[in-house]
Amino acid sequence: MGGYGDVQLLRDDGLRLDGRKLDEMRPVSIEAGILPAADGSAMVTHGLNVAVAAVYGPMEAHPRKIQRQDRAVIDVRYNMAPFSTGDRIRPGYNRRSREISKVTAEALESVVLVERYPRSKIRVEIEILAAEAGTRCAGLTAAAVALADAGIPMRDLIVGVASGKVEGIVVLDLDKAEDNYGQADLPVGILPNTGEIAFLQMDGDLSPDEYNLAMEYNFKAAAEIHEIMVDALKRRYEGGEN
Amino acid sequence: MVELVPTLLRQELARLAEDDQRLDGRSQWEGREVSLEVDCLYNAEGSAKVVMGKTIVYAGVKFELRTPWPDRPTQGSLMCGAELRPVAHRKYEPGPPSPQSIELGRVVDRGIRESGCIDMESLCIVPGEKVWGVMIDIHVLSDGGNIFDACGLAAIAALRTAIVPAERFDVGEDYKLKVNGTPIMSSFTRVGGRYIYDPSEEEELGGDERIHITLGDEGHLHSLQKGLRGVFTPAEFAEIFDVAHQRCTDLRTLVANQEGN
Repeated sequence: MGGYGDVQLLRDDGLRLDGRKLDEMRPVSIEAGILPAADGSAMVTHGLNVAVAAVYGPMEAHPRKIQRQDRAVIDVRYNMAPFSTGDRIRPGYNRRSREISKVTAEALESVVLVERYPRSKIRVEIEILAAEAGTRCAGLTAAAVALADAGIPMRDLIVGVASGKVEGIVVLDLDKAEDNYGQADLPVGILPNTGEIAFLQMDGDLSPDEYNLAMEYNFKAAAEIHEIMVDALKRRYEGGEN
Repeated sequence: MVELVPTLLRQELARLAEDDQRLDGRSQWEGREVSLEVDCLYNAEGSAKVVMGKTIVYAGVKFELRTPWPDRPTQGSLMCGAELRPVAHRKYEPGPPSPQSIELGRVVDRGIRESGCIDMESLCIVPGEKVWGVMIDIHVLSDGGNIFDACGLAAIAALRTAIVPAERFDVGEDYKLKVNGTPIMSSFTRVGGRYIYDPSEEEELGGDERIHITLGDEGHLHSLQKGLRGVFTPAEFAEIFDVAHQRCTDLRTLVANQEGN
């Protein structure tokens, strides 16, 4: 966390700088099946974040050394477009995107019925077109919808959500300023039907009570986003405009 | 991934060409419907999204402050790059930029640069010390054929709507980037023995060499490129050159209309 501490993030009326309540998330909209070349795809707009996910496969796993005899491997690439942030990012993989890709893949492997596809690979490409804090969560949500859109069997969806702490107060869904100057960030991937957690990261400083409250906020937000995910998939398959 | 070109597809394309037909029912010089959206990315200083059939491309413009080249102390710089990331098609693999994506970026770059639509002198802030570097990044999200034209269109539309973020860099007030002209690219692929405009994914798969022509507002040539294995005659070029004129004019109007909105 940035932790500069001298930036005011809560207004005198107790609301946040963008007018949200402490437990209010930014608006989320989701569209499934937006990329014609992919087997499954989704776009998630979460506040000012825009994340696109494409799924290809299951396909032959190569190079062969990544093959697993008993299950499929999920090959995730999280990538930020050069124009997605304030200062241009040099194209290409970096340590941050590699780590996010790895933990996202492991989260998705926890819900996809990978044992149905031994020795194969499922490619999940996550592209961030606009980044304003919370891109790994938006990317994870997009990936889950894209996998479902591709018709790949899963135990449950995954919802990416985050809570954090600003000025000593726990808040849901940090925006850019809160992420830069806040004191903690707790992004998680929640299985909305089982209530299990498949993705967990955290940095900053949280007391046990603050952790519990942040997690409570996360579960509440996950239930809201889950409805939007299901709605996007229904629109795609119930003979809507697609 | 190696693309297998089915013999049957090539035979079918050749048969259709004999009857002057195309797989998707278009005529020889007919393009797909193009949809263009500008100012669609929050953090980019200029942006555009182009959809042409199954092809979807985004372009974003970013600015940076840099010191000018010693031999050109009063000139800023322009760079245009394209990424063919694995998101766009199952045939694209991760790794360093492929020769294909480098060619794509450079052909688009040449068309914009050589048209002179950006006056490099206008990007100078303090001669010899501080100039703007303009970066256009093109992101192909879905390759459904003819990504060259989609990328060229997205790049110039993004550039034409760009705002120079002078306030953020503490060098004055934000202002609209001055762009004098709208260079437009037209691409042709040989399919079933004859050239067609705006190839689809299947036509590229079962086709041969391609030609890319970028024309400026006055109808002057600013970039040419022949790609893939194959040869063409001067007469064939003369024919597609005429088509390119017409298609470029249509697309230039589309860009102008979007800016008006």
